[in-house]
Amino acid sequence: MGNLIKAEFRKTLTTKSWWGLMIPAVAFAFLFALGWGAITNDLNDFLGSSDAQELAGLLGIQLGELPVGLLALAHGINVGMVFPVIFGVFALAGEYSKKTITTTFLTAPTRVAALSAKMITYILWGAVYGVIIVAFASLATMMTVDNAGMPSAGQWFGVLGGGILATILATLFGIGVGAVWNSVTGATITLTIWMLIVENVLVFVSFGWFEIRWLGGVLPNGTLNGIVGAIGAEAFGAAGVSVPGELDENLQWLLQYSAGAPGAFSWWAAALIFFAWTMLFFVGGWASNQRRDIT
Amino acid sequence: MHDGSGRIAVQNLTKQFGAVTAVNNLSFTVDPGSVTGFLGPNGAGKTTTLRMLLGLVTPTSGAATINGRPHSQLGNPARVVGAVLENEGFHPKRTARNHLRVYAAAIGVPDQRVDEMLGLVGLAPAADRKAGGFSLGMRQRLALATALLGDPQVLVLDEPSNGLDPEGIAWLRTFLRSFAQQGRTVLVSSHLLSEVEQTIDQVVIVSAGMTRYYGPLEQLRASQQSRVLVQSADANALVTALREAGLNQVEPTPDGRVAVSGATVQQIGDISAKASIAVYGMQEEKADLEQLFFQLTSPQYGAGAPYQQQQQQQQPPPPPGWGGPPQGGFPQSGQQPQQPYQQTPPPGFQQPGQQQGWGGQQ
Repeated sequence: MGNLIKAEFRKTLTTKSWWGLMIPAVAFAFLFALGWGAITNDLNDFLGSSDAQELAGLLGIQLGELPVGLLALAHGINVGMVFPVIFGVFALAGEYSKKTITTTFLTAPTRVAALSAKMITYILWGAVYGVIIVAFASLATMMTVDNAGMPSAGQWFGVLGGGILATILATLFGIGVGAVWNSVTGATITLTIWMLIVENVLVFVSFGWFEIRWLGGVLPNGTLNGIVGAIGAEAFGAAGVSVPGELDENLQWLLQYSAGAPGAFSWWAAALIFFAWTMLFFVGGWASNQRRDIT
Repeated sequence: MHDGSGRIAVQNLTKQFGAVTAVNNLSFTVDPGSVTGFLGPNGAGKTTTLRMLLGLVTPTSGAATINGRPHSQLGNPARVVGAVLENEGFHPKRTARNHLRVYAAAIGVPDQRVDEMLGLVGLAPAADRKAGGFSLGMRQRLALATALLGDPQVLVLDEPSNGLDPEGIAWLRTFLRSFAQQGRTVLVSSHLLSEVEQTIDQVVIVSAGMTRYYGPLEQLRASQQSRVLVQSADANALVTALREAGLNQVEPTPDGRVAVSGATVQQIGDISAKASIAVYGMQEEKADLEQLFFQLTSPQYGAGAPYQQQQQQQQPPPPPGWGGPPQGGFPQSGQQPQQPYQQTPPPGFQQPGQQQGWGGQQ
C-alpha cells in the first residue's frame, strides 16, 4: 500500500493540476475573506450603535464585539473549497480520460488497493489544501477585521479544524462524483455551476418564496459550507445553540446566510450530512470501478 | 499465490458486450520459453481476450489465468506480467521519466530501473520530454519500458509493431526472441501473420471470437497442401483422363487450366502422355502461410476454396525490416469477393514478379 501511495503522490506532483488549482483556491479564499472582512467591520459598527440591543441581551454578549471575523474566514474558506472538489474530480475521472487507469490497475495488486491508495493520498492532499486555504483566509481576515471583531483563539482553531475536515471531504466528494460520472469535464462544469449558482438560487428561492429555511442545511454545497460557516453562526447564536428567548427565525436565517451557512443546524450536523453526500458518491463511484471494463 | 510457471491458460473464455459476443468459448495455453503469436483479423476478439487475461475486462464466463491465477490474485502483478496494450495511456503533460517513476513506485522497484528501461528501449534522449509530444513509435517504446519495469516473467503485447519503424520492428523481434529464450513467456497479438511470422514459434489463430488453429507454427506450415496447375491442349480431356487414372482432386480453373491436388508433376505428365494430351506447362503451387491464415480466418474461404489463384510458385519471404502493409491494403474478410478463384490478386496482395514486399516502398 505504501508503494501505491507513493505512486499516487508522484502522479499528482508530476502534473500541474495540484498547483494550478491551488492558486485560484488561495486567491479566492484570500480575496473573499478580504472583502467580507471589510464589510463585517461596518456590520459591527452598525450593531454597536444601533438599537439591536435586544439581540445583545438575548445572546449575553457585548454588541460591537461580535467575532465577525468568523464571517470573513467562512466566506473565504468556503469559496476556496470549490477547487479541492475539482482536484478530486481529476483523481479518478482524469485517469480514465487519459487512459492511465489501465497501467494503474495493471501495477496494483487489486482495484481495491489502487482505489484505497488514491483515497488516502487525496485525504492528505485535502488536508494540505485545507491548511493553505485557512491560512490565506486568516491572513486576509487579520488584515481587514478590527480587533473588536477578531475571533478567539479557540474559535480560530475550530475554523482550522473545520476547514481541514471540510476540504478533505470536499476532495473525496470530487473523487466520488468524478468516479460515478467518469468525465472530468462534465463533472467539473456541473459541480462548479451547482456549487456556485444552482444551489444558492434554490436555497434563496425556497427561503424567499416558500419560507423553507432548512434546505441549505441538507444540500451538498450548503452542508460543505456549513462546516465552517456554522462556527460563525453559532457564535452569533444563530445555529447549534438554543438561544434564550428565541431569535426571530428570519433574522436567524439571515445571520446564518451572512455567516455562509444558511439553514445549517450546527457545524457537526453539517459535517455529518456532507459526509453522507460524500459517501453516497464515493461508494457509488467505488462500486462502479470495481466492475467497470477497461477497454 | 501463483505457481511461478509462466504459463498462460485461457479456458472456455467468453465475453459479451451487450448483444455482441466479442469472444466465444476461447481456449488455448501459452508455455514459457516460446513466443506465441495471437492472430486474427481486426475485431476477432484479440484485444478483449488479452484484457480479460490482464484483469481489465471481466469475462462473461470461463477463465484466463497467468501462473494458474487470475490477474487480481497475482500479488504484485507487474512483477509477473508486463503488458503493452493498444491505446496505452500516458498523461500528455508527464515526461517519459516521470511516467516510469510513477509506476516504478507502484511496483516497488528502485528508480534506477527507470533509466535502465529508458536506455533499453532507446528513449533515454527523450526521457525528459512530455509523452504527449511522442510519436506512435515512441509511445510503443515507452509502453514496453513500462511493461518491463517489474522485470516480469510473462510479456503480453497487443499489436506492438503499430507505429514502429523497420528498425524498431527488427529490434522488437530480436528482443522478444531473447526474452523468450530466457525461459520467459511472450504472447504477441497481430492481425498480420507475416508481421510476426519470423518471431513466433507457436500460434493461436482466432476469428469471430473463436479459435481456428492453435499449435506450433511448424505444424501449420507442414499442413500446407500443394497442387499442380496444368496448361494443356484440351482441359476437359485431361480432367477425364486424370479422373480415370484415379485422381479425384481434379478441377478445371476459369482460365482454362486444370488444378490437380494429391499428385506429383511426374504422375500428371505420365497420365497426360498416355492419354495423348499435349501439356504446355505445369506449375507446382504451394499455399503460403498468409493464405492459410486467410482460410482460417475468413469463413467463405474456409470450406470450399483452399487456394487462391497464384501465378508464382511460392511467395518470397518478406524482406528484412519490412515495414508493414499499406493502410487499408490488406484484404479483410468482409471485402473479399465471393468467387473462390480470383483472376487477379486482391489489392495489396503481392504481385508475382514484383520485387517488393507488402510495404510497397523500399
